[in-house]
Amino acid sequence: MEPEIQNSSFLIHNYAMAPFLSAGPFSARNGEGRELFSRVTIDVDEKELVMLDGPSGSGKSTLLRQLVGMVPTSDVTRVLAAETYSGLQLPLWRSKVTLVAQDAPMLAGTVGENLGFPFSQRCGCDRKGDPQRRAELLEAVGLGSIPGDREIGTLSGGERHRLALVRGLLWNPPVLIVDEPLSGLDEDAAVSCFELLVDFAHCTGHALLCVLHDRALGAKADRRIDLVGNHGESPP
Amino acid sequence: MSSLIELGPLQLVVATLLVVAAGVISLVLRLGIGRRLAVAAVRTVIQLGLLGLILERVFALRHPVVIVGILVLMTIFAAREAASRTTKGYRGIMLDAWLAMAVSCFAVGGVVTQMVVGVEPWYEPQYVIPLIGMILGNSLTGIALGLDRFLDHLSTRHAEIELRLAYGASRREALAAPLQDAVRTGMVPIINAMAAAGIVSLPGMMTGQILAGAPPLQAVAYQIVVMFMIAAAVAGGAMLVVLLAGRHFMGADAVLRLDRLGTTK
Repeated sequence: MEPEIQNSSFLIHNYAMAPFLSAGPFSARNGEGRELFSRVTIDVDEKELVMLDGPSGSGKSTLLRQLVGMVPTSDVTRVLAAETYSGLQLPLWRSKVTLVAQDAPMLAGTVGENLGFPFSQRCGCDRKGDPQRRAELLEAVGLGSIPGDREIGTLSGGERHRLALVRGLLWNPPVLIVDEPLSGLDEDAAVSCFELLVDFAHCTGHALLCVLHDRALGAKADRRIDLVGNHGESPP
Repeated sequence: MSSLIELGPLQLVVATLLVVAAGVISLVLRLGIGRRLAVAAVRTVIQLGLLGLILERVFALRHPVVIVGILVLMTIFAAREAASRTTKGYRGIMLDAWLAMAVSCFAVGGVVTQMVVGVEPWYEPQYVIPLIGMILGNSLTGIALGLDRFLDHLSTRHAEIELRLAYGASRREALAAPLQDAVRTGMVPIINAMAAAGIVSLPGMMTGQILAGAPPLQAVAYQIVVMFMIAAAVAGGAMLVVLLAGRHFMGADAVLRLDRLGTTK
């Protein structure tokens, strides 16, 4: 009995110490072969809002894309809530560590289709897009009056970005990875959108990693990871 | 039924005057296609002439191995042509085109020659070669159009594919939209041809059979069979080639590998 007890207490201890999300090591070079970053590991705790910082061209988007497995990576370990995800489980990983990509990509179609499609995919069929939550989120980002059958092509850049954010929050994955979500938004809209992200990040069972250009809002993050000349993670 | 009026060298020379007339029009209007027209005309004569000579020999030989060998050769040439018609390419495009072509043509061709027409013996070249040839010619277009559309979709709408992936789409889910788009595009010509058959156009094979003295209703029956078999072969071939190409650009880990897409082959 004794070794068993020891063993289980070790596991609990290990779980308590391990970060909520841990992935890496990631390395990347730019088009000319110059090293952007090397062997970076991303650790994010539960209920934490982490900002990934660095000058443009330092590879922030590349790192986020590697993190969610949108580009080929090798010898990378991805762990969420003490569960390790293999390369073949990348779709499942992405459904839990979801990237809201730069430039707010949209499917050709309507607003409703764009908000609803994740729930019709296999990874999302056990989740439901709560219509009330959807209405609340749209209202909160100032898109409350937008009809569901509006064609995506008729939205402005700022409306697309807010819609992309609503989609991510409605999907409600454990971890959201957001790449410059506030671009094209005026100051008021940016602040209210950022509030939604903070609320999301600080919920139990959630965390958020983002790239932000707005320094003032970025200062509200719980922690910053700097990508400049960084060959690892900066101390908290 | 009246028998076939044979064409001799003199008749062909008269027909040549017609293509020369087309060339004169090209010169007068300065279309700049005179050279290409001449080359195409010469190619028509040489290629069809050779085909005629080969077919005469093959029909005389009537050996199953020779027939199958010729059919396989035909699929290889058709695959090469299909792969060369796309504006973008990737390593292995030829093999994918050939596999799709061979599987769809032999499956559909097999059903038509063995079950619908009931050819005796099973390799009877007079039926097998023209029928498979017609499937090849049409599924070539379908496969080339479908593949071209698929590769174009990958390169111009990759953000949408990655958006689906970001929300946990499997490979199948992520590639469903480009697949539909590609197969739909590949099927447009045959659907148009079927819709217009007999009203806007007299299909070539039916015309040929009527010229050769076949009863019109028999020619119609054959033409219907041919249209349907082409539709099946085009749908199957386009779907297959896109599935094969899709595996090339996305593995089981569902990472979109656009780096494997090239503009030259």
